[in-house]
Amino acid sequence: MPMIEIRDLRKSYAELEVLKGISFDVEKGEVVVVLGPSGSGKSTMLRCINLLEEFQGGGIRIDGEAIGYTTTEGGKRRRRKEAENAKLREQVGMVFQSFNLFPHRTVLQNVMMGPLKVKGIARREAEALARDLLKKVGLLDKADQYPARLSGGQQQRVGIARALAMQPKVMLFDEVTSALDPELVGEVLRVMRQLAQEGMTMIIVTHEIHFARDVGDRIIFMDHGAIVEEGPPANILANPKSDRFKQFLRRYQGDYLDT
Amino acid sequence: MDFLVNLLAIWARLYPSLVSGFAVTISVALAAIPLALLGALLLTPLRMWGGSIIHAVTGAYIEFMRNTPLLLQIYLIYFGLPLLGLYPSEFMCGVIGIAMQHAAFLAEIYRGGIESISQRQWDAARAMGMTWATALRNVILPQAGLRILGPIGNQLIILVKDTSLVSAIGVVDLTMVGKVSIERLAVTLEIFLAIALIYLALTGALGAVLRIIERRVLERIG
Amino acid sequence: MMPNVLINNLPYLLKGALVTLELSVVVLIAGNLLGLVIGIVATSVGRIGQSLITAYIFVLRGIPILVIMLLGYYAFPALGYRVPAYVAVGVAQIIYVSAFVAEIVRSAILSVPSGQIAAARSLGMRRFSILKEIVLPQATRIAIPPLLNNSLTAIKQTSYVSVVGVWELTYAAREVVERTLASFQIFLGVMAIYFIICYPLSLLARRWERRAAVVQ
Repeated sequence: MPMIEIRDLRKSYAELEVLKGISFDVEKGEVVVVLGPSGSGKSTMLRCINLLEEFQGGGIRIDGEAIGYTTTEGGKRRRRKEAENAKLREQVGMVFQSFNLFPHRTVLQNVMMGPLKVKGIARREAEALARDLLKKVGLLDKADQYPARLSGGQQQRVGIARALAMQPKVMLFDEVTSALDPELVGEVLRVMRQLAQEGMTMIIVTHEIHFARDVGDRIIFMDHGAIVEEGPPANILANPKSDRFKQFLRRYQGDYLDT
Repeated sequence: MDFLVNLLAIWARLYPSLVSGFAVTISVALAAIPLALLGALLLTPLRMWGGSIIHAVTGAYIEFMRNTPLLLQIYLIYFGLPLLGLYPSEFMCGVIGIAMQHAAFLAEIYRGGIESISQRQWDAARAMGMTWATALRNVILPQAGLRILGPIGNQLIILVKDTSLVSAIGVVDLTMVGKVSIERLAVTLEIFLAIALIYLALTGALGAVLRIIERRVLERIG
Repeated sequence: MMPNVLINNLPYLLKGALVTLELSVVVLIAGNLLGLVIGIVATSVGRIGQSLITAYIFVLRGIPILVIMLLGYYAFPALGYRVPAYVAVGVAQIIYVSAFVAEIVRSAILSVPSGQIAAARSLGMRRFSILKEIVLPQATRIAIPPLLNNSLTAIKQTSYVSVVGVWELTYAAREVVERTLASFQIFLGVMAIYFIICYPLSLLARRWERRAAVVQ
């Protein structure tokens, strides 16, 4: 059974269809990188997996559990209860482009918040876990700082630690380096690379093609709300078939060659 | 020099009534402030998340309170409640009137604060598996609270000044002491100076304290 | 229950509303103009002038308007001038409102980034034209919502002149209540009249606030 199973995912805003039937699986421990121009629907797809966006058709399963909606025997689609969905979200960690740390809490408290407030773990245990994770992302010395004092790269590493603190089965990365100054991108990618090596199941939406080739087990190229091409990085990057993917690679070629 | 001697003589003579007037003013403020803060705390969730009827009723209350003079609200309570067989003291009428209007203003401040927190904070909280209520309590409200410290402080300073309206229904507060003394002693400037200085010290001190608190909190979180 | 008492006394109350409107218009125009001048002057005079204006703003904003009105009411006779009460308290109201307006105008002007002024200066613009062409247009957008809210407060607080015996809507309401004892009908009716005057301004202020939020 795949860890993530997406079947015919459809979403529209009023008349505009932004996801036109997306289907793919992610196996346990696999790293899937999603590429695509802005407006291709890749971030929306990612947000659907965590149910930050509602979707109107198809289904998503994490480790066999349907996310967001269940289908009754009569084929009727019903939204699951808020508490059930919250429970499912615990298994999916998400890291955002804009970090979205909680500015009123210290770094340590940010990482502890999930275990404490969602999982109800004892404070001492939660703190030990949080310190472990901060050490892992190299920010133990910043534990008592407020996020506003940290650089973008540091904030994003805290974001990763905060998501990991929920001990999720799956991690989603939504253009996590796009808001960073170029010199800060490396430290974040390093942490993600380490996670991949440890066997975390990951979906990464990014523009870092070099990173995609290095770390990804598989690349999916999306455009206009649909999957255009997919395959192992070496093949697909060397021999893009569609014009749209070729065009996309040409635009980001600079990044590709530089790194 | 003569003026100064004269001034001090008048102030000395007025001292007991100034103290008692000051005590009444402070009492009105101290009674009305918690009532207003709590009243707003009650109004805000009804206004924001109540069903359509509750939303409309609380909205109407807030708008009516914000767009009519406080003096009339106090009159309505003071002259209206006896018709219902209720006879609260002048002091209570003043406190209730002030608290009712300021609760409406504060409710708008609370709402503004909550709405000013970005959707991304909701996303981050819910992505961690927080329910709506958990996210509201742990992520949204603390941030909104910090953000509205300044506006709440300004509103409370206005409230302190508004306590002077209780003199219009016969409460002998600082303003009333001033009015009566001016008429009785037939000196204006010296008495006005005393009253004005006391109010100024009160609002100035409150403002300074609130600014210090605000700065402390905000410099931590940037 | 029909609000008969209110209907019977409506002509009298509307006469009071007319006085309230007159008073409001005078206070708003004079208070805003005076405050505007003081606020602009505050940003373009030397240190002593600034301190004086700061004191003016700080003192007036820290004292209840009722106290300022008492001063206006008793000070003129004490100085030997015979002035009608409505003039004395009207002047007090204008001065009080001007302090709030001055503070709004001053902080709006100061909030225009200094880079804007540097840029204008580097184009060779003179001080007055920098103020007129660069600073004031930007400051206006910032100042309008608080100025509208301040005007709303100013209208509502014209009712306080009734406390020192000036006849207007609130005073008329009290007269009618004393005569008829119909406190709910009359006060609620009169509050509705104030609401009708104030609410459009309130909506306008909100619209400008929203517009300002969008620009930022």
